[in-house]
Amino acid sequence: MTETTDFEAKADIAEIAVERYKQGLLTRRGFIAAMGALGILPALSGKTMAATTEIIVVNWGGKAKDILQEVMCDTYTKETGIKVTVDGAGPSAGKIRAMVESNAVVWDLCDSGAGSALILEKAGVTQPIDYSIVDKSKVLDGAVYNNGVGNYVYSYVLASNPKLLGGNVPQSWEDVWNVKDFPGMRTFRKSVRGMLESATMSMGVAPKDVYEALGTDDGIKASIDRFRQLREHVIVWGSGSDSQNLFLQEEVSIGNIWSTRAHLLKDQMEEGSFTVTFNGGVVAPGIWVVPKSNPAGTEEVMKFIAHAQTPELQVKWLEMIGCGPANPAAAALVPDSMQKWNPSSPENLATQIMYNDTWYAKNQISAEELYVDALIN
Amino acid sequence: MKTSPFRIFFNTGAWAVLAFLLLPLLVVIPISLTDTSYIGLPKQHLSLQHYENYFSSAEWLGATWTSIWIGVAVAIAATVLGTAFSIGCWLISNRASTIARWVLIVPILVPPVVQSLGFYRFWVKLDLIDTYFGVILAHTLLALPYVSISVFTALANLDRRITQAARSLGASVWQTVISVIIPAIRPGMLTGGIFAFIVSFDEIVGVLFLTVRTVNTLPKQIWEGIQESIDPTIAAVATFLVVLSLIATAAVSLRKKTA
Amino acid sequence: MPRLNDQTRYWMLVLPALAIMVIFYILPVLGIWEISFTEPATGFGNYVKMTESNAVKTSFILTFRVAAITTVGCLLLGYIVAYAISNFVSRLTPLMMALVLLPFWVSVLIRSFSWIILLGRSGLVNDTLRDIGLISSPLRLMHNELGVLIAMIHVMLPFAVLPMLANMRGISRSYTDAARGLGASEWTAFRSVYFPQTLPGVFSGALLVFVLSLGFFVTPALLGGGRVLMISEYITYQIQEFLAWGLGSALSVALLVATALVLLIAARFVNLKSALLERN
Repeated sequence: MTETTDFEAKADIAEIAVERYKQGLLTRRGFIAAMGALGILPALSGKTMAATTEIIVVNWGGKAKDILQEVMCDTYTKETGIKVTVDGAGPSAGKIRAMVESNAVVWDLCDSGAGSALILEKAGVTQPIDYSIVDKSKVLDGAVYNNGVGNYVYSYVLASNPKLLGGNVPQSWEDVWNVKDFPGMRTFRKSVRGMLESATMSMGVAPKDVYEALGTDDGIKASIDRFRQLREHVIVWGSGSDSQNLFLQEEVSIGNIWSTRAHLLKDQMEEGSFTVTFNGGVVAPGIWVVPKSNPAGTEEVMKFIAHAQTPELQVKWLEMIGCGPANPAAAALVPDSMQKWNPSSPENLATQIMYNDTWYAKNQISAEELYVDALIN
Repeated sequence: MKTSPFRIFFNTGAWAVLAFLLLPLLVVIPISLTDTSYIGLPKQHLSLQHYENYFSSAEWLGATWTSIWIGVAVAIAATVLGTAFSIGCWLISNRASTIARWVLIVPILVPPVVQSLGFYRFWVKLDLIDTYFGVILAHTLLALPYVSISVFTALANLDRRITQAARSLGASVWQTVISVIIPAIRPGMLTGGIFAFIVSFDEIVGVLFLTVRTVNTLPKQIWEGIQESIDPTIAAVATFLVVLSLIATAAVSLRKKTA
Repeated sequence: MPRLNDQTRYWMLVLPALAIMVIFYILPVLGIWEISFTEPATGFGNYVKMTESNAVKTSFILTFRVAAITTVGCLLLGYIVAYAISNFVSRLTPLMMALVLLPFWVSVLIRSFSWIILLGRSGLVNDTLRDIGLISSPLRLMHNELGVLIAMIHVMLPFAVLPMLANMRGISRSYTDAARGLGASEWTAFRSVYFPQTLPGVFSGALLVFVLSLGFFVTPALLGGGRVLMISEYITYQIQEFLAWGLGSALSVALLVATALVLLIAARFVNLKSALLERN
């Protein structure tokens, strides 16, 4: 039933159904049912979208959705007349793969991460970036892939709630593991990404030596053990909004969270109940990926990616939601007051380390195993 | 009635447990009426802003409507299929039909994540991912056990001699089924249909696996709402559903009383 | 037109539902077995990985523990309710019955949301306890196993009450009355005469709750704070994050086999037919 499906016949039946629907011979529900039964509803909706060239950009929802819409998409529409809509559905690697494999691609451009971009490329469900349209020189080193390109920069940072800690704020990862002086729950990501690094630093390893220390099995075990020690004080966040909720609901007093979420929290939380340090942070690029056979077509999406590299827009993106500019040319345009919150400002870059893809490609899966085992009761 | 420590223990115990059952259902009501923008009890006055939010949101209303019509479609499909199935099994009443009945209740026993995984892979092959039909089909399968159990319970109370009499008077199998058996088991069919609707209306795991963007049901909207931000709009939706349930339960208990 | 015999006609009624169930449900679920042996490579690789993994072991132990505690909790609380409903007849009995059934109408998702509101660090329970001065710092009620257990017992309780209730309604008072007449105290009569008769109902309830709890997903995922990672959540985690369909499928197979084993073992104590096929 898979490979032998007669698509032409289906398309023909679909056309008939469309006609009947237009003539009013088929009710809407009957129409949808007929389309659904033929299994062509998604394909059909994809086609109609292509005809009107709407680009669907998918990110992780919440305020980030509205801001991406305003800063990058609406400006593009103004320039070109092409409609760009942000969907906040959360383009996890699983969902992207699901969509491509089920021939039901409705997304054109997804806000993914370095690790996921590689996994997706390997699974063969994303398209190569066309670097004749997208300018490589407008992206930080290390954020250029075959099937993905950096869109903005974020960090894994140490955030805390001084109010819950009685004003005593942790300054380093060592402090985070010091439960006696810094009581309360901590939150870490439900994945080792950006987390093992902090555990390693908490043992006194210098930032620049972190991945070297994690280069051996013993090094990994040692930092996993740090989580085992701390686990009774840990709540795990799965999505960015999870981590935001945990701070907002005052469920946690300390956390290793994304700087973008921290940027939102600094405005949402009461004065004096939220602070962040980039000290010991891990800088990672967000990555655009394009699912195979996206409805709007390859070229349209590449043009949009190029548009999103504009330095002025990247600075605005930073101001509004804390996405650090991926375009090095933008750094100079960032106002001084914002530099403190900019994960890619020269000052902040100096105290952070770069997320190491090679390490993750080699060790992530086995490390995740150990991590889960260390954290669950 | 005599009181003894024994009776007091069971009686107060039972009411305490029932309070435990009820409390979490009621707690959404005051939260939904809060005048704050975060989860909490009303501070200064009661406010309907979160209901306004719900009733003015195309997303929430769209999801509600989708869930309702999918639920109705599932209820109809599952009731028709399940009733025919149960009547057939009841008429056959041998080992093979018992095995068939076991097959039909398998979805109750298989963990939701496992069955959704199975659905997903198969639905991909059939191009059913993110289609209404795909969701209706999956939900119908999940609802069939409940329909077949309710209808069979109704059939178990039916006297076989009635159908035998109808047959010996010359009625065909179909006539017997339609004019003798079905009228007698209507309550069982109704219960089954209602169950089927609820199974579909509340189903979340399958929907998470089988839909992407086109199909958005109320449980999916709530699930994403909880993940996104715990805000009182969800409490308003929840209140709405809890009140409906209270009415439904009251209606059922009253009907039982009069019946 | 050839005359169909009655048996054939009966089977024509049975077949549509049965065929749909077999084609669109049974086969896809069996298909998971195939995936577990073929992705990413053909062989037992996923199963080797699974048995070698400590995380999987821990998650299985956790799953069985949570299911067991939920079952015991539901039986204790449910027994009291079932007993009161079936033995103390009063005007309020229908109300009690309605309250048992009420949660069935409200989705698990909504009930989990309610528990999030109640059990959070600044949730209603903690706030109330603090306002009346019982505690000075908030209790940890959620984002741990306790929170998951509370919410799961809440969800599963009706499944325990109904089979016990059905059983208790069939028990004649005369034995207990006879024991009382012979001078046994109320407790003794209950313990040695009434209780043993209710065991079939208790076992059916236990089986239902345990089997349903094993595969539970929504409540642990929402209230567990990521640390109460039961097998179902672990499966979705493998698939969503790492696209590890093979391992996810192998875990699913293991969960299915575990469920089947529980049912097989239970068949020795419980009349499965009356517990599952003939319940309301």
